[in-house]
Amino acid sequence: MSQKVIIEVEGLVKHYGEVKAVDGVSFAVEEGEIFGLLGPNGAGKTTLMEILCGLRRFDRGKVSIHGFDLVKDSLKVRASIGFCPQETLLYDLLNVRENFAFSASLYSLSSKKFKERVEFSSKALGVGEFLNRRVQQLSGGMKRRANLAASIIHDPPIVILDEPTVGFDPNVKREFWELIKNLKGYGKTVLLSTHDMYEADEICDRVAIMDKGKIVAFDEPYILKKTIGGEPSIHIRVKDSQTKKALSILEEYKTISRDDEIRIPAKNPWEIMTEVSNKLVSQKVLIEKIEIVEPTLEDVFIKLTGRKLTEEL
Amino acid sequence: MTNSIIGIAVKDIKTFFRERGTIFWTIAFPVMILLLFTAIFGREIPFNANIGVVDYDNDPDGISASIVNGLNSTGFLTVKNFTDEIEALRELNATNIRAVVIIPQNFSQNLYAGKTNVSLILDGTNPDVARLIDDGVKTFFTEYYKQFKPSYTEPITINTEISVVGQQVGYKENIVPGMLTYPLLFSSMVVSTGAIVFEREKGTLKKIRASPIRPINMLFGKTLAALVQTAISIIVMAVLAVFLLGPKLNWNVPLLAPIMFLGSMNGIALGLIISCIGRAPQEASNAATTIAVVLQFFTGMYFPIEYLPTYMQQIGRFIPVTYAAQALRDIMIRNATLNDLLLPITTLTVSAAILYGVGVLLYKRWVEK
Repeated sequence: MSQKVIIEVEGLVKHYGEVKAVDGVSFAVEEGEIFGLLGPNGAGKTTLMEILCGLRRFDRGKVSIHGFDLVKDSLKVRASIGFCPQETLLYDLLNVRENFAFSASLYSLSSKKFKERVEFSSKALGVGEFLNRRVQQLSGGMKRRANLAASIIHDPPIVILDEPTVGFDPNVKREFWELIKNLKGYGKTVLLSTHDMYEADEICDRVAIMDKGKIVAFDEPYILKKTIGGEPSIHIRVKDSQTKKALSILEEYKTISRDDEIRIPAKNPWEIMTEVSNKLVSQKVLIEKIEIVEPTLEDVFIKLTGRKLTEEL
Repeated sequence: MTNSIIGIAVKDIKTFFRERGTIFWTIAFPVMILLLFTAIFGREIPFNANIGVVDYDNDPDGISASIVNGLNSTGFLTVKNFTDEIEALRELNATNIRAVVIIPQNFSQNLYAGKTNVSLILDGTNPDVARLIDDGVKTFFTEYYKQFKPSYTEPITINTEISVVGQQVGYKENIVPGMLTYPLLFSSMVVSTGAIVFEREKGTLKKIRASPIRPINMLFGKTLAALVQTAISIIVMAVLAVFLLGPKLNWNVPLLAPIMFLGSMNGIALGLIISCIGRAPQEASNAATTIAVVLQFFTGMYFPIEYLPTYMQQIGRFIPVTYAAQALRDIMIRNATLNDLLLPITTLTVSAAILYGVGVLLYKRWVEK
């Protein structure tokens, strides 16, 4: 990973009346990485992203993007960013190519560059097959691809994606994750917000966890999970009526009962898994599922805030 | 940033042509109105008109003066006194008054003798108004003389003359310039309100604002698109009017174009203000439609402004499109020249500049919210 910082945020504060939506946020995004802002709805992610894109003013702090100050060189900052919000911002009555042309005109793209970029989008984002179809005739997945392509038609070095896969079914989500990874492959720096821990874990090089307007932790997902998420654990599900029996058999271990499962945290769960399984089987307990689960970013969030990511603020 | 201005305009125009509802409201609706109003207002209705009186008689018994007072108290005529005919005719040509009554020298003496003449010069640009004034003035003099000498019924001959600097006109010649005013008010205002409100409603304003385009350039792009759409509406109306009604009008495009441009700019600016004041998109759209529908009745675009109560006529003078409607009639019916149009051009330019300026300030504040 390159060490050049391309987005630098220092002590950013934004109020909505009495509410502090962004509360002294500081972080730096390095060139060429995929950086995720992970947090529940209402954590301040969208406000933060909209500030970075110049859509909202902020009360205090300093933001530098691609070497330009957000306040002083706002137009240069905007030219460096491709912003793709949650909603599909395409014109239904125009076809995809016309939507691209409109987006390109906002950045004063030459016709030659526009052609090149349409070719790029066709290849990298797979929009070539529906370039001449009106947006109103496209499927949801096609619209989101076209939306992403339109937002980067001007070939910006930085791509900002606000909840890029919200509302997608798992297959389309995976497909979209590949597109985002492709962007990184083309040298783009990607900053995305999400409340999906799997998304953050799967595609982000580094993640900042946001809660109530503050960044409560940030690092590589693996390190966050290892340092904050706690130990891996054995997850066991037995037949409903046998849960109490199973808990009494396993009382020599540190057990936690959660979500119809028995969990046994351990530094090296692989070493005790067979032993645990044998004890239950010998006492005629029917095991429906037994597996070793590594800590997730959800666990990290719970450890840090005491709440789940899916809980709204 | 010309590229971005054109880009916004092209996008808006393409969207316009693909949105059937918008096409209906900007083109088909005015045509419907044209046909409806032709049917409804091609008849007599009460009205109030300004006329001039030139009194050359000045008799010591005050007969001519009592005639002037009598005309003033008819309830449908407001009299302005003139000392000479040339000045009165100048006002008539400028459409500030609709008729001139000339009371000749020795009128009173001749009246006592039992036979006299009065000249009535009517502005023929609006046949309905001319006919109503003609009938009204003749009736007045007949009734007046009945009181003066009940046995003699027709002692005063009214020499009527129709004055039109241009050509004789019928109702269709009068309504077509009025209908061409309609897009200047309705289409321009509704289109400009809609264009901005749509971006906000759809969320696409976010995309535009996140780009390096300056807010003012977006506004210029929207204005350009609204101008093109209004122009299309005007052209369609004009072509349909020619084919459906066949009016004999002076299509002086070099003079019509600037008036239409200035009229449209007034409508666009008003639409811009409404779109920035409206709290919700639907509220702004409804407000623009309602305001346009109400204002159209004050501007004299469908029927002579004299049909309105006096206070409504006064309100109409504060509406820029009223001047556009009158200017279009002056050009198309009266063959007005650039010199004749200095007042409407100045009024429309000043009002457009003020309204657009206010619109830009509100828009900048609104877009940065």
